[in-house]
This record gives sequence, structure tokens and C-alpha cells, in this order.
Amino acid sequence: MMKALGSLSRRRFLTASASLGIGTIAAPYVARADDPTLRITGWGGKWGEIMKAEIGPAFESEFKCKLQTDSAFPYLPKLQASSRSAPIYDVLHTNSNEQWAAAEMGLVEPKIDPKLVPNLADVYPYAISDKIVGVSIFTSAIGLGMRTDKGYGNVTSWKELWDAKYNGVRGGYVIPVNSLGQAFLMMCGTLFGKGQTDLDAAYTALEKLKPIKIVDFTGAMEKMLLSGEVGLCVIHDSGIYRYDGQNQPTDFVSPSEGVLSLEQVLTITPGSKMKELANAYVNYMLRPEVQKRLAETVWYSPANKKVKLDAKYDAKLLTTPEKVSKLIQVDWKWYNERKDEIDQRVNRIFRA
Amino acid sequence: MSSTATTRPNGLALFILPSALLFALFFFLPIGLMALMSALTGNPVVMPKVAFTTRHYARMIGDPYYLEVIWTTIRIGLVTTLVALLIGYPLAHWMARIRSRTGHALLLMAVLAPMLTGIVVRTFAWMTLLSDKGVVNQTLMSLGLIAQPLKLMYTETGIVVGLVHIYVPFMVLTLTGVIGRIDERLEQAAENLGASPLRAFLEVTLPLSLPGILAGSLLVFALAISAYVTPILLGGFQIMTLPILIYQQISANFNVGFAAALGIVLLVISLMLVIAYNRALGLVSGQRELQ
Repeated sequence: MMKALGSLSRRRFLTASASLGIGTIAAPYVARADDPTLRITGWGGKWGEIMKAEIGPAFESEFKCKLQTDSAFPYLPKLQASSRSAPIYDVLHTNSNEQWAAAEMGLVEPKIDPKLVPNLADVYPYAISDKIVGVSIFTSAIGLGMRTDKGYGNVTSWKELWDAKYNGVRGGYVIPVNSLGQAFLMMCGTLFGKGQTDLDAAYTALEKLKPIKIVDFTGAMEKMLLSGEVGLCVIHDSGIYRYDGQNQPTDFVSPSEGVLSLEQVLTITPGSKMKELANAYVNYMLRPEVQKRLAETVWYSPANKKVKLDAKYDAKLLTTPEKVSKLIQVDWKWYNERKDEIDQRVNRIFRA
Repeated sequence: MSSTATTRPNGLALFILPSALLFALFFFLPIGLMALMSALTGNPVVMPKVAFTTRHYARMIGDPYYLEVIWTTIRIGLVTTLVALLIGYPLAHWMARIRSRTGHALLLMAVLAPMLTGIVVRTFAWMTLLSDKGVVNQTLMSLGLIAQPLKLMYTETGIVVGLVHIYVPFMVLTLTGVIGRIDERLEQAAENLGASPLRAFLEVTLPLSLPGILAGSLLVFALAISAYVTPILLGGFQIMTLPILIYQQISANFNVGFAAALGIVLLVISLMLVIAYNRALGLVSGQRELQ
């Protein structure tokens, strides 16, 4: 016994220890080396939590693969910087305006093949309309969010946002960087001009909207509304409904002129080496049971017509053809072609 | 023998080589790439046909909005530097001359304590103080001193307040070292020769501390003009600075070339101001040029 121990030289001991250490560290990666990896993007917050805890693992288990999610926004500059033949993502999940920009740059495929994604047959027309690149798996309604404890009365129209009584408590977005802000600019053209593309009317309306508190993302607007920093603001329904049951003095208003759609869009990158898996993922995300679980967690309106939500969610979300018909989609292709010009103008309008 | 001596690698050079390589890789290469991208029509790595262009710079010169943004950035940097110097110098002087070791330690802790908290957290703290529903406005309104909230946020003043709070420690720590090395007997000699304490300070201590003022000011100015989080949160996107515009161009307009051109302009302006500041201080201090 002593002899055996004595034969263990220092060099052998170090070699064995190093091998054991490397083996321990590498073991999980070696074990998973055979599993294909699908690289996707996705939001954080509640969306990220449920994707990580339930939806993602179920997909991995069924399709014997690994999901690698990037939730560090912005995604498009990273995709833009990666090689076309070996893109950083296989599936891009982001809002419609960015998807259009990605499609224009050839970074994503403009359409999803219905033969490879059978659930595409069950989506509402808006989800694959000519205003959409890829497929919209969910949508939110962009309307007005208001405090109910300030005695503002009944708000029914977008135009009430211009009412002088909201000076100092009016909320909007940094238009160059926010989808809601950009959609709202197009709505201003409709409200005060000849239509979405009437930019001059929109700029004049935005000038008259000051003073306004502007933020870059909806989470910040939610906090400002909850704290009372703003009393009436542009917001999507999910940003109000997600506080359901917390007794917050806030409510969502669907203006009589219609609500704008904020689509959650999936596209596949042309250079993806995981095309089959990418299509399977898109199809999976459109499954009624997956749609229902996500919709009831994050308060997004499902794109699949066959989804039956519980009564509480069904009452508020866009779950019937009649409700969906209220959605106004923005022509993002048109918008993106003029984005530089629009940004320069609105940056001037909202500077202090 | 002499041949062996000349071919022998210099030990010091070998010692410096790794850091020189790191510096070249993480400093010169990115700046070089940025300069190249600012003069190209696209990214040559992913686009097949890319040509040289001056359109990004022409766009900047052709639109006065960008010149206004550049001036706003410089103005915020200069005001932040000046205020940080005015606050930091007396504190640094006190720290350098205090006799009590406990007192010095307490002052040092007071200066360093804010640096233990992240910039985002400190900026959010300022937001809770300066917003319409913040501590300052609510207190003034509850005392009946004001009827409507004062506009403390979403202004250049708000941004400067936040930046000064964040960058004053850099000024103080730089100045403390320099003032601490000035021989106090020089001031005493000036006073013995009839100078008042103020005159002794102005004619002896202040000129001798100019290298510290220069180093601290350049540090604070460079940090202030490149700040992103504080201007965006306290300015509420209504005060546009170059870093915000650069991020906007990359994240929302996907125009890397124009963002690179803006970055190069920011770099050139900073270098020009550094050189001018260096020369001006050199003249004031009676030297040809501060090294």
C-alpha cells in the first residue's frame, strides 16, 4: 500500500488533478455537444422568466436541442455585425419596425413558409399581412394609459392627450428609439392630417403636445404612471394589465379612433444552419397551448385564432375577429425609408 | 562580445511588450477601425461592395442640428469641469493640509463613499430628488414656497448636478496628491515677506497646483463629455449629447458609419480641447508647455 502511494509522483498527481478539473468543467458541455443549438432573441422580465422556466425547456425536451436566448437588447446591431453566412441568431424576435429594417438589410427572410410552419394557417390575418415581415406571434394594443385617481373624467379619444389639463403630466416616447413613439407619430398624421403618412400634420401635432415627459421604453412609462409622474400617456395594454390584481389606480383606454398594433414578430435568418429547427420553433410558439400560457402571463393578445383564454384575459385582450379589426397596423417599410429625416425633426421638436 | 551585447533582447522592452500589445489591440485598433468605418459606405466584413465616402461628415456639417449637439456636449463638459473644480479644490486643499490623521481618513472616506455605488444607482437617487414628485419639489410645495413643481430635471442644470456629484471624487483625488506635495514652507515664506494668506495662496499654491488642476480637469471633462447614463436619465432625452446620438444611430438607425463619424468628431474635439487647455495652463503657469 505504501509502495503504491509512493509510486504516485508529483508530476502524475498534478496531471491527474488537472485532467479531473478540466473533465469536471467540460462534462456538461461534452454531454450536450450532440444537441443542436438554436440561437434566438427574447425579452426579459415576465416573458424571459416563463420562457426560461417552462416554454423553453419544453421545446428543448421535445426537439432534443438547446435554446440559447439573447435578451440583451438591441439585437439588430449585433445581427448586423455578424456574418451573413453564420449569423449570430437563427430566429429573431423583435418588434415589427426592426424586423422591417432587418429584412431591408437582408438579415432576415421576409416571409415564413406555411408548409414548414403549419400553425400559420390558424393566425389572424394581421399576423401575416403585407405590413408584417415573418409572422406576428402576439400583439399588444397601443392606446392611452391613465390615472384613475386624479379626477380626469372619461377619456375616449386620442385627441384628449392634447388637452391643456394634462400639461406637466403627459407622457410619450423618444420617437427615434421606441416603437410606440414611432407608431404614435403615424397616428398623429391620421388624427390631424390626411393619414398616417401626413408627416407635416404629425410634426405640428407633436409640437402642440409639449410639455411632455418622454422615456425610451415602456417599462419606464409604467413606473412614471404608477408613481403619478404622468397622468395620461401613450402605452400598450400589457403595460397596464400586467398590474392586474395589485389595486393600482391606472387603466387602459382604447381610443375611439382605434388602437395601434405592437406586434411581437418572429423571423428566420437566411444564413441559419438550423432552418428546420427554426421553423419548428416558430410553429411551436404558435401552438394554442403555448400561446395561451404566454398570453396569460404577459398579457399579450395571441395571434392564433384557436386560442381560448380564461374569462379574465378574454375580456381584455384582442381575442375575437371583431376586436382584432380595431387594430391599426403601421406601414413600417414606408416609415423606415424616412426614419433619418423623421428622427432629425422629432429630436428638434422635443429638445429642451 | 559586443555583437552578443547588441543582439541581446532588452529586458525592459520585453516587460513592456504585453501591455503595449494590449494597448494596440484594445485602443489603437478600435479607434482605427472606427475611423475607417466613418469613411466607408458600409461594413466591408459583411457587405460585398463597399466604397470610400465623405457623406457621413458632409451630413454632420450640412445640418446645424448636429453642430448644436456637439456644442451642447462640450458646454455640459466644460460647466461640469468648472463646478467640479470649484467644489473639489477647497476639499482637496483641506484634505492635503489637515494635520489629524483621523480627519484625513474621514474626509477620504467621505470622498470615496459615493464611488462605492454604481453610476446608475446614483443617477436614480438624483431623479428621486429632482423629479416633479421628488423630495425637493414636494418639500417646497408642502412648505407653501412654490405652487407648481420647479423644472429641476430634463434640463442641462439637472445633468450637470448629476455629473458633478459623480465626478467630483476624481477631481479631489487628483488634486489632493499634487497639493500634498507642495512645500508648505513656500507659503509661509511668502507670508513672512508680507503677503496676505489669500495672496500667498493665489501666487504660490495655486500656480504650483496647476498640474493637478490640469490633470483633474482633463479627467472630469473627458468623463463628462462621454457620459451616457446620467444625461439620458436626468435629461429625459430632451437634452441631446453626442454619446446619446451615437447610441441612437447604432441601436435604432443601424447606421454604424454615421455613428463612427460622430465618434471621431467627439475624439478630435476632445484632443483639440486638451491641447488648447494644456497650452493655456502652460502660459498661465509661466511654463512654455506643461509636460
